[in-house]
Amino acid sequence: MNSLEIKKMIISSLNSDADIIGTSGRLEEEGISYNFSHNFKDKVLDKLFSAGVTINREVEFIKYMNFAFIRIALTGVAAIVVLLISIFLVQGSLSFNSFLGLSDNYDESIVCLLTGN
Amino acid sequence: MSIYCSMIKESYKETEENELVKASLNGDKNAFGEIVTRYQKMVARTVKGMLGDSVFAEDIGQEVFINLYYSLPEFRGEAKLSTYIQRIAVNLTLNEIKRRKRFFSLFSQKANNEMHEVEIGDYDNEKRTEAAEIVNKALLAMDPKFRVIVTMRMLQGYSTKETAEILDLPLGTVLSRLSRAQKQLKSILEKL
Repeated sequence: MNSLEIKKMIISSLNSDADIIGTSGRLEEEGISYNFSHNFKDKVLDKLFSAGVTINREVEFIKYMNFAFIRIALTGVAAIVVLLISIFLVQGSLSFNSFLGLSDNYDESIVCLLTGN
Repeated sequence: MSIYCSMIKESYKETEENELVKASLNGDKNAFGEIVTRYQKMVARTVKGMLGDSVFAEDIGQEVFINLYYSLPEFRGEAKLSTYIQRIAVNLTLNEIKRRKRFFSLFSQKANNEMHEVEIGDYDNEKRTEAAEIVNKALLAMDPKFRVIVTMRMLQGYSTKETAEILDLPLGTVLSRLSRAQKQLKSILEKL
């Protein structure tokens, strides 16, 4: 088929009464065929299913982080409670001074302590 | 686990479309692989017909099937699966054409023309016949809204009614675009 015939066929394929299936078949015979690379399917499946694995891994990581955070937070709360109890037992109160360990000290003794005089 | 494994078939070559969709929805990789095998040539015709035979076309083709996989739960089976896939392919390709146009409009007219030349010459000439060269050059020189109509009609062999269904356009609009596309194609082919 020469280029003129091809051009005519292309233009006539757009007529509303054209034999479109026949035309597309003839165009394919003339080498007008389109295809993706031979490993196209594998590429698509890899993208789809390896992305799923990544998402699962991210979800698992977040779960582990939440679990670790809860354990650390609980340990911290337990340490604070033990500290409060021990302060109350030693100092006899839970005032701000007793937290700072200053309940038995007067201002002068602090100045002595800091200056050494 | 063993029940699930027994449900996964090794080969889906003879399986019907709706069964493939159901199996894919259950996460069966082989079933979705069969859908890709069945429709990849159809998608290639649409994407490469509209974008030219470039490396970008293959990426868009992959995106079509990835979008299909994630939108399968919304597929109600009212239309054929092929029509559904074609719609995704056409939309993604038109978006890509718009994106490229926007990107290259940032540069000078010269750069814009160079992009068009790259698009036209972006396929392996040695492998192409004269006919293929004429078709590709003519398609890429067309307005995208006509290019899609011509691709559906000439490369895919769809009727006017089927084209209207895929593009979600009234039949009258498709017919008028078809006649305008024919005029544009004539003037392009005269210059080639």
